Amino acid sequence: MNLLPLTGWLNAAPRGVIAYAADSSVSKSDLESRVAFWMRALPAEEGQRWAVYHKDSVEFLSIIFALWQLGCTACVPGDNRPATCERLRQRVQGFVGDFPVNLVSNDDLSELGIDAGFDAVPEWRVLNADFPALEIYTSGSTGEPKAIGKTFAQLDSELAALEVLWPGEHDAVVISTATHQHFYGLMFRLLWPLVRGQHFETEQWQYTEDVYSRALRYSAFTLVSTPSHLGRINTSVAWAEVADRCISVLSSAAPLQRKDSLSVARLLKAPVREIYGSSETGAIAWRVQSDCSDGGWQAIPGVMLSQTDDSLLIVAAKQLAEPFFEMSDRINFIADGRFHLLERVDRVVKVEGKRVSLTEVEQVVQQSPLIEIAKALVITRKRTEIALVAELTEAGRQELAQLGKRKLLLQLRQPLQDFFELVLLPRRWRFVDQMPYNPQGKLPMDSLQAMFEQEEVKWPELVSQTVEGQVAELVSRMPADLIYFDGHFAGNPILPGIAQIHWAEYYGRQLLSLKGRFDRLEVVKFQQVIFPESVISLTLNYNPESDKLSFRYHSDKGVHSSGRICFR
Amino acid sequence: MSNLQLEIKQMIIETLDLEDISPDEIIDDEPLFVDGLGLDSIDALEIGLALQKRYGIKLKADSEDTREHFSSINALATLIESQRAS
Repeated sequence: MNLLPLTGWLNAAPRGVIAYAADSSVSKSDLESRVAFWMRALPAEEGQRWAVYHKDSVEFLSIIFALWQLGCTACVPGDNRPATCERLRQRVQGFVGDFPVNLVSNDDLSELGIDAGFDAVPEWRVLNADFPALEIYTSGSTGEPKAIGKTFAQLDSELAALEVLWPGEHDAVVISTATHQHFYGLMFRLLWPLVRGQHFETEQWQYTEDVYSRALRYSAFTLVSTPSHLGRINTSVAWAEVADRCISVLSSAAPLQRKDSLSVARLLKAPVREIYGSSETGAIAWRVQSDCSDGGWQAIPGVMLSQTDDSLLIVAAKQLAEPFFEMSDRINFIADGRFHLLERVDRVVKVEGKRVSLTEVEQVVQQSPLIEIAKALVITRKRTEIALVAELTEAGRQELAQLGKRKLLLQLRQPLQDFFELVLLPRRWRFVDQMPYNPQGKLPMDSLQAMFEQEEVKWPELVSQTVEGQVAELVSRMPADLIYFDGHFAGNPILPGIAQIHWAEYYGRQLLSLKGRFDRLEVVKFQQVIFPESVISLTLNYNPESDKLSFRYHSDKGVHSSGRICFR
Repeated sequence: MSNLQLEIKQMIIETLDLEDISPDEIIDDEPLFVDGLGLDSIDALEIGLALQKRYGIKLKADSEDTREHFSSINALATLIESQRAS
């Protein structure tokens, strides 16, 4: 099927439904009416750039179509934070949509007496293919965000390539957890559906439960998502009820872990297609992982891939502004032109699919009068996150002494929110007197990393606890990374008896009124072993008269161990 | 501090791998997100999963509703209690 050209979409697209809002549908003429409204409302002139931020995909689309009709470039920032707006102010004529005050917004328009009533639809103009339709922004390695222009020809060429790769499935409604303010979402949940006449939802959903209930509305759907959501899908939702309607799942922004890919494919009974690309290049490669392999990435039709001497990926494609683009990712070609992604070579990193320059994080943190010098790094604990090692100034040291670390962190975090999305804020901070430079004068990454290594896990993970009189009942999970499982026994870990007695005494002291010193054990029996990840109840009963604490570890398998600890 | 509130705070600290904060420093009626504890959208997903795992809580498929339940420790406690009762 031929795609509609973006340049003449308003003339070429057939009448009828194009999208679904929460409880209604949106037709092409609804969209046209909004485009006409925005054309009348915006004091824009040919050749200008305008910043656009709007949560609703159809409203967003109306604004960018209106700007295009007025001969303007739509500038699409990834967020609407104060620092982003300040930076954009240099580049754009005005702001439209959900931006902070002082900028043109919906409310200002109503104050100006421009109502949102029906607007007569004008004659739509057809734009030139080389018109600079969009400007998007991404983190550059210098710490300065860089602007990337996209002409209609570039957009159309990327969309055409996607259509060659995955031509069918036009009946599936696009449901998404990704924002159209990022290029991936803009292309996959908005522009591609638009030019192929596929219906899309106007809202971005945060929870997988939302995705489920939206899916119930349609006879067929496609999910456009990211690893952040697909890696945290709630498996207890009745996915089986909608799995038959799921045509495909798309994931981009970062590689999806294989276990997550397989789990989603199983739950939704649909292929999980991952897309690799960047704001600069658009989509350039894809893969579908399987039980036995991650498959390797392969080029999207029309994209030619090669590599530099030091393994950096080189892209050539019609959708690029220049003939070639050198990525900052190292790769390793395997068979049939497929490749594996290796590490990035610059200090731009991805956290939860969002790209950020560590240099920029450091620069912004160092603006605080409390910070002398800051080093940012990416660490992986329960999640992948930004961490920060900093030397404080004299003023910073005083604040730390007076306020304590927690209050100081709140104070340091506050101004960072103007610059970065929340998931990109440093989650862990270490204050040092001096950065750990080695004798060669270098700052070794592993000594910074070592400051964030997880402490040893010595306690069960509490699920619930109740105390009544001298009886305490604790339900807890046995984390697999408990130090007591280590080497006890190799390949067949079980919880040692001594740890069970130690915990019983510890929680007895915490929750009940026992005070005495440990004397001896009585009638201790270990009946059944305790495995990693099992959920175990511990019942503690203290008898103050005899000064004895009875303990019993039990679960649905029966009693694991029991006994008495005597105090004196 | 009631048992349930304490339990939720311990769950949040463990699940989200928070540091430099102890349960008694989390205020029962303070916002969990952005201001207050400063949690982000990924934390919200993790809390949703933890609620499901530990208390069998099913989030209603309505983001507005969910946002309300996630607004503070007290709101979470109310959510857990209401689902226990029903």
